[in-house]
Amino acid sequence: MIFIIEDDKIMAECIARACKDYETKTFFNAIEAMADIDRNMPDLIFLDILLSGPDGFTFLNELASYSDTAKIPIIIISSLNLENQDLSEYGVVEILNKDTMYPKEITAYAERFAH
Amino acid sequence: MESEVSSILIAAHELKAPMSLIRQLALSLDTENQDSNAYVRSQIIDVSERAIKQVNDLTKIAHLEDGLFKMEPVSVRGVCDGVVSELIHLFRFNHRDLNIRYTNQSKLVIANTELLHSVVYNFCLNAMHYSDQETFSELTVQDHNGKVRVGVRDFGPALPMDVWRELKRGWIEKPVSIAMRPGSSGLGLYIASMFSKYMNAEVGAVRHRDGTSFFVELPVSKQASLFE
Repeated sequence: MIFIIEDDKIMAECIARACKDYETKTFFNAIEAMADIDRNMPDLIFLDILLSGPDGFTFLNELASYSDTAKIPIIIISSLNLENQDLSEYGVVEILNKDTMYPKEITAYAERFAH
Repeated sequence: MESEVSSILIAAHELKAPMSLIRQLALSLDTENQDSNAYVRSQIIDVSERAIKQVNDLTKIAHLEDGLFKMEPVSVRGVCDGVVSELIHLFRFNHRDLNIRYTNQSKLVIANTELLHSVVYNFCLNAMHYSDQETFSELTVQDHNGKVRVGVRDFGPALPMDVWRELKRGWIEKPVSIAMRPGSSGLGLYIASMFSKYMNAEVGAVRHRDGTSFFVELPVSKQASLFE
């Protein structure tokens, strides 16, 4: 199961299309994703940073504070310039820039982490 | 000068978002079947048309000083109906709805049709971005202290304090910090503000616990009496 947390529905659909061989669940804000995570522990999370309500960083902090969710690999997808940031302590495996990323990169991470 | 550069940067950031989206959509065409391609193509058209409209509005701001926009009696409900029919598809695509409630007795206002359309359009688009999913925004037209008030109410997170302070200072004079709201620099509100000023209309906002109303108050056209 892959979680896609992205408040732009069209962008969320683009990410989901790149993961079409895997089960995905889309959330348009972090609160809904956090509420669902107890029922459906994802193998991988694609996370936008600028979200309505709590932002992606708040979500990362929340995940990192629980032993089980701290292990979930996270790919940040954002138009912010975060490429040089090291967020590995929050489980962030990669930071993809929305302006330059390719669907095949998303597919590759889905193949690597999702079952 | 510094503030102008900052405004340009913020506007550029907002206009970059649809371009990124169009790029992603175009890239996803490669691997899709024909049915899906048709859907993606329609999204490319929708996103690009909204971006073009925003660029056109920004261009219009530059021409406001030239006085090219004629003020005339305008059917306010007609303009609002036009905006609703243009945006209802987008609201529903995003799991939201846009309701209308007209109670105004004065049918005509003094405005410029094109600019008023943009003001209402930007208010509605702002409401859609701010609303929670499965909620509706409400477009109202009502008589208010001898004027006609066109308001758009959203139901979502309360307006951030920095934006509220900006409004209290006298509305939005420039696109405000991109951090104010994801996916928006307040460019739409800035455009609405500039166009309303040109039309000598008053703009304002009401902060609710569960959302915000933005409104513009327009002078009633004397010509209205001929139709009533």
